[in-house]
Amino acid sequence: MRTVIIGAGQAGRRTAELLRGLDAEREILLLGEEAEPPYDRPPLSKEILLGEEHPRGLMQRDIHAYETQRIALLLGERVEGIDVGTARVAKADGERIAFDSLVIATGARARGLPIAGANDPRVLTLRSMADARALSARLRPGLRLAVGGAGLIGLEVAAAAIQLGCAVTVLEMGDRAMARCVPETISSRIETWHRAAGVVLKFGCRLTAIEPRREALRLYTSGGEIEADLLLVAIGAVPNDELAREAGIAVEDGILTDASGRTSHPQVFAAGEVARIRRPSGRHVRFETWQVAQHQPVAVAHALCGTERPYAELPWHWTDQFGHNVQILGAHSSGLDWLLRAEGERLSCLGLDADGRVQGAVLIDNGREATPLRRIIAAGKPLGRQRLLDPSVPLRQLC
Amino acid sequence: MMTWHDVAPEGDFEPDVPKVVQVGDDRIAVFRLDDGFYAISDICTHEYALLSDGFCEEGKIECPLHQACFDIRSGKALDEPAEIDLHTYPTRVEGGVVQFQL
Ligand SMILES: Cc1cc2nc3c(=O)[nH]c(=O)nc-3n(C[C@H](O)[C@H](O)[C@H](O)COP(=O)(O)OP(=O)(O)OC[C@H]3O[C@@H](n4cnc5c(N)ncnc54)[C@H](O)[C@@H]3O)c2cc1C
Ligand code: FES
Repeated sequence: MRTVIIGAGQAGRRTAELLRGLDAEREILLLGEEAEPPYDRPPLSKEILLGEEHPRGLMQRDIHAYETQRIALLLGERVEGIDVGTARVAKADGERIAFDSLVIATGARARGLPIAGANDPRVLTLRSMADARALSARLRPGLRLAVGGAGLIGLEVAAAAIQLGCAVTVLEMGDRAMARCVPETISSRIETWHRAAGVVLKFGCRLTAIEPRREALRLYTSGGEIEADLLLVAIGAVPNDELAREAGIAVEDGILTDASGRTSHPQVFAAGEVARIRRPSGRHVRFETWQVAQHQPVAVAHALCGTERPYAELPWHWTDQFGHNVQILGAHSSGLDWLLRAEGERLSCLGLDADGRVQGAVLIDNGREATPLRRIIAAGKPLGRQRLLDPSVPLRQLC
Repeated sequence: MMTWHDVAPEGDFEPDVPKVVQVGDDRIAVFRLDDGFYAISDICTHEYALLSDGFCEEGKIECPLHQACFDIRSGKALDEPAEIDLHTYPTRVEGGVVQFQL
């Protein structure tokens, strides 16, 4: 019995290792396009840019660890096609590999900027270790860096770059930082950290064209023109779901799966960020988080072995900027009433629905409250505002 | 040379709330559990975080950053992203004062 996994990133590694833990016998092939053995991406926009070469958070094992686990790791191998009829994948070099079951763990890629001048070599994106090294090599004191997008990755890069002495301007179409995932009060705190460090934040500012000049890039925006030596585009990710679509598997901005990772084809599964997962509510949601790449493969590995361990975790992700750790629990929704609970420097921002139930939370330097809050959210009980916001009542007493 | 270091009087410990002592470069977190006192290294083995800032329950401590879990009695890393166990240190109560050995 052979399971082939396409994509040797975090979700691919997790699926392979968890599967080996459940089944000592089967043949496991892990195929990845990158030259690097699998690694976790969060350090790419953090420690790597600040000059650490091998931060522990990469979780990067050397290739011998795969030999020991009897996982055949094939690096630098791009899969070009899936033939579900004959149950084979085709590699770029033409070789075809047969599978009994297939896991697509191809992740996502950075969204490009669809405007003139965006193909200049001074316009970069950040997704892979190679991207992070290329960016890191260019960040030096005095460099004028423009960042397109005030989302998680854009702001982490801005934070690292300003700490390295670059002159940093962030251009954001929307009206605040990380608007997709945090409420206004949290955005304004994050903006304060950036401005205090010297980052220029421009909101309501759309990039319309890039004029590559010899000495610099001239950026045309809805808020005027600026010059930059380098532009980092961080405007979101696009799922690598084309292989699945071309194979006739159901896709909708991500590969549609059930809670166990099954796609519309019985032999094919999807793991990690490329999956659009059926939630208990019946809706399908795609997550761009470390969490989904770490934990959803548990469901996939079990399903591959014929057991059910559906993935239904409350969404959770984090960002680290200027020494602060921000954790985001649940999906952000502007329909909630966001209330602050401060315990000194530690902060919890709780999103309550009309019935007084906590539906989401943002924690600043307060990770110890994540588990109590997860339980409070899961319990779905209305809790009195007064008790929730009283810092002398520990949250763990409320769950 | 191993020495015993004072932490705090026995009565000052609350369940699930560690006390932290710095000895040179080492930070040690000392916990009171149902069956006695336990001392572990306070630094998560995944990246870097103070476990004493984490959530503690049923003899386990959860890292405040990425939720790796450790067994306080044995120091064992119970799940990814931590894979390296924590150092543990012997403890004793001398004249009503909790101590650990380093
Ligand atoms: C810079 C950065 C910082 C981040 N920081 C955080 C953070 O702080 N917190 C957080 O929660 N999340 C963070 N994330 C998100 C998180 O890292 C991703 O959601 C996670 O990497 C998804 O894992 P994955 O295995 O699904 O995809 P990936 O890690 O992208 O792995 C997919 C792999 O498949 C390969 N592949 C694709 N197509 C093919 C093909 N046809 N053939 C062979 N191989 C192929 C790719 O090359 C890639 O190696 C960050 C992401 C980035 C990029
Ligand atoms: S630093 Fe502790 S789990 Fe990551």
